[in-house]
Amino acid sequence: MSRFDERQYRRRLSLAMVAYMAAMLLVWPLSRTVGSVPLKVVLAVVPVLPMLYVIGLMARRIGASDEFEQRVHLLALGAATALLGALSLIGGFLAAAGVAPLDGSILIWVFPVVMLAYGAARWWLLVRHYGGSAACEDDGALVWRLLLLAGLMLMVVGVAWWRGGLDDFQTGLLFGMAPGVLALAAWIVWRLARRRASGR
Amino acid sequence: MNNHVRDLRGERGWSQADLAERLEVSRQTVNAIETGKYDPSLPLAFRIARLFGRPIEAIFQPEPGGPGEG
Repeated sequence: MSRFDERQYRRRLSLAMVAYMAAMLLVWPLSRTVGSVPLKVVLAVVPVLPMLYVIGLMARRIGASDEFEQRVHLLALGAATALLGALSLIGGFLAAAGVAPLDGSILIWVFPVVMLAYGAARWWLLVRHYGGSAACEDDGALVWRLLLLAGLMLMVVGVAWWRGGLDDFQTGLLFGMAPGVLALAAWIVWRLARRRASGR
Repeated sequence: MNNHVRDLRGERGWSQADLAERLEVSRQTVNAIETGKYDPSLPLAFRIARLFGRPIEAIFQPEPGGPGEG
């Protein structure tokens, strides 16, 4: 099986994320204002389409991996699933007991939590357990992530400017992405500083 | 499992990336095999043996006292 082209993967993932953000900013808010229920359903699930594409992209990437990479991917996905299961159980019992007022919209967080836990577990397995270096650790990949996040934030600001101000949803998006941009920028600066120090 | 993959690669002057390309695996996979942190499947072990022109048992040996030894 041919090796998966990481650059192509990043390019397609970037396009999918831009499409997702555009759908969230421009299409999804309409689902709260339209009266027709079928149209409301269609508008509400539009952001899911780019995410389904991302899931398919990931499946292809894992399918084209070699045996060791597949082992790492599957272990990381297993760890992410276990974490999600544990969090769901805790949240479910707290909600059933009336301690935490959780509604159905919390399900939006399922996919991001799985992806974050999967990324962290994969990094830990590759770098800490197997003593290698994660592909996502490459400077190119880190800078790409930083640019993608910064670009998405600019997109939110651009839409807000076009509409004449930030609403609660856009403010939430910006506050959600800002820590990611700052953490990535700090990580890149730390790596550069460490490399410079070791090069002396 | 102990192996001589790193030595055999070194004898030929190949980098990990060179070997990975010849075996059609990632560099990380070669690194994990060389450091003994990952035991390859039989098909991959045979590919490695064929590439270096050695019998499989000349490259991979079970650890003393480990499973499959004695």
